[in-house]
Amino acid sequence: MSDSPHLIIEAHDLTKTFLDFWGRPKVHAVKGITLEIRPGEIFGLLGPNGSGKSTTMKMILGLLHPTSGHLSVLGQSPRDVAVKSRMGFMPEESYLYKYLTAVEILTFYANLSGLSGSVRKETVNRMIEQMGLQAARNRPVGEFSKGMARRVGLAQALLNDPDLILLDEPTSGLDPIACREVKDLLLNLADRGKTILICSHHLADMQDLSHRVAILLEGEVCAAGSVKDLLATPDLIRLTLPRPSREKLSAMLDYLERETGFRPGVDHTGRTLESVFIETVSRRRIAS
Amino acid sequence: MSLLPLMAIARLTVRDAVRSRLLVSLAVILVIGLISLPLLISGDNTLNGQIQVILAYTLSFAMSILSAVTLWAACGGIASEIQDRRLYLVLTRPVHRHELWLGKWLGIAGLNAMLLSLTGLIVSAMIAFTLNVSPESAIAKRQAREHFLLARMTVIPVAPDFAEQARRDADALLQSGRLPAGVTARVVEAELIKRYQDRRYSLPPHGAITLDFPLPVSIDNGHDLILKYAFDSSRPERTPVSGEWTISGGQHDSLVMSVTNYPGIPNTVLIPGEWVRGAPSIHLTYQRLDAKNPATLLLKANGKEPELLIPAGGIAMNLTRGLLIILFRLGFLAALGLTAGSLLSMPVAVFAGFFIMTLLALSGYVETVASSGVFYVAHEGPAPTQTWLDAAILNLFKGLYGITRPFLRFDPVPLLQEGLRISWTVAGQAFVWLIGLYTTLTAVIGIALFNRRELG
Repeated sequence: MSDSPHLIIEAHDLTKTFLDFWGRPKVHAVKGITLEIRPGEIFGLLGPNGSGKSTTMKMILGLLHPTSGHLSVLGQSPRDVAVKSRMGFMPEESYLYKYLTAVEILTFYANLSGLSGSVRKETVNRMIEQMGLQAARNRPVGEFSKGMARRVGLAQALLNDPDLILLDEPTSGLDPIACREVKDLLLNLADRGKTILICSHHLADMQDLSHRVAILLEGEVCAAGSVKDLLATPDLIRLTLPRPSREKLSAMLDYLERETGFRPGVDHTGRTLESVFIETVSRRRIAS
Repeated sequence: MSLLPLMAIARLTVRDAVRSRLLVSLAVILVIGLISLPLLISGDNTLNGQIQVILAYTLSFAMSILSAVTLWAACGGIASEIQDRRLYLVLTRPVHRHELWLGKWLGIAGLNAMLLSLTGLIVSAMIAFTLNVSPESAIAKRQAREHFLLARMTVIPVAPDFAEQARRDADALLQSGRLPAGVTARVVEAELIKRYQDRRYSLPPHGAITLDFPLPVSIDNGHDLILKYAFDSSRPERTPVSGEWTISGGQHDSLVMSVTNYPGIPNTVLIPGEWVRGAPSIHLTYQRLDAKNPATLLLKANGKEPELLIPAGGIAMNLTRGLLIILFRLGFLAALGLTAGSLLSMPVAVFAGFFIMTLLALSGYVETVASSGVFYVAHEGPAPTQTWLDAAILNLFKGLYGITRPFLRFDPVPLLQEGLRISWTVAGQAFVWLIGLYTTLTAVIGIALFNRRELG
């Protein structure tokens, strides 16, 4: 099968079966999934626990080998080491060396990515600043809160300015403001042409971020498409208008019922708890 | 192979050990152990004995501690990092798995080099301290310095060529028809040469033996030479033997030294270096003087002929070479640990590693079984018939001996303990065998296993 030059990740009939000690099939984690992820898109991989999301991501990262099917990443096999210089990965947990400081960890991963000398130093400093870790740059990450460790994890994923960024629960453990900042950062990266694959349970975040999603269940893709298409309910529309008087509203509803044969529902549009939280905390910070 | 990630991983391994206080804890254990061991073990209450205890026990202690830690660190270097998933972030970088493997190995080797340097410094300081504060006489201190603060080369006497005589006598024996059928000339010749060599050291009452020792290095630094010898007797009683050693061959007249020895006990005689200065060889004659002991003795005990230990360097470089050999041994253990960690999960990898280390520690027993063909001794009754199981176990031991042989061959502790020189050639051979062959082979297997391993 020839790899399309326009696809960042191309998986066809991808299968992963874990074997037991005797080589007998134990778990069919991924069952013939097909995915096509295009440049510059944010793609969400959704699904309950055990649906095969992490296994799929690990195959894309080259940590697991597919049992069958075709998988190419940036036009190459994911086991090819060269392709990893164009990838960045942030796992769900911060698997960092807890005795090292933020600067030492980022310097280490920069070295692994082949950055050297002043470029490495400049990149590490920029990432520290971008992630708001200046005050904690020389503290061991073992002393960091979960949110701070996630920021170090994200910083290391972006160190080599990757074309493909894989994120496992990127907003897990972050407060709503940091969460918003990360989401803005990811949207900004996508605007710059970076391709982002996200695995997450936070459906609201995925809805905010993803251009397209695939929903996995028991190792199979059970729904896929653009977020807009998936959320659309073609038989219903929502009409939003300033609050009218009780009489006018009643007249409008009567009219619509006569015309459509369907009595429309009425509710109040509200803000999300996230927007209230961000507004409150921001106002307080500005005031202090 | 790129050097940047390799060195980054090596540095990280060292830094992680330093920050996690592993290095500091080990250094403290080493310091306490190295200082307290000579205080706890008294030896034979002589200055020489004390220094031997420092050299033998402290180095063996350091080697044991470092071997265990090396295995632990190496198994954990891969297995535990897979388990706690820290390797996910490393292996999703443009890093080949062999670079990671070698980087870890280099890091562990770096840690070992640091700890061995500390060991060397402590052992040197302990020897210097013991020599300075010892209440023993100046002569005893001088003897101890001559014995241990120098690296000595062993010289054995020039052996006469018995081949021609053995050939002639073997032909005569075969033609006489007194030998059983099927015995070859080669077997007879070998046996005769052995007998002639033993007969050369045969010493009846009032008998004398002259031994010629070549001096491969010029003796001009004023240090003494040490003659080591022991008598063997066929009689169980240990009657003392009196005699004289006459040393000739130097620029001076012959030097005569009277000695009284007991059969079976190792003896040393100091030969003044000044006496043999510049001589290419020396001749030593032993003359038995009294007839109190009527037995014919052998000037050779446990198969060892007399040896002349000649000064050939200082202790500092000798200790350095000895520590280098220990570093090579630890390098092999690190490779074993990393290989176990590449294949197995953390506790199993450590268990497998320690099993192999125990096997190496038992290499002396393995050698005995492999060479003697006996792995147990029946104290009573007739010798049991060898079964197929015995043969299989024996072959297993022979195989194990083949594998563990370098560990017997390249053990610097007995040499340092005896004040014997470890040459650069021996250190080089240790490098070739332990690193060039054994570590490389283990690394090839370990990296191949690691490349195949999935990180799920």
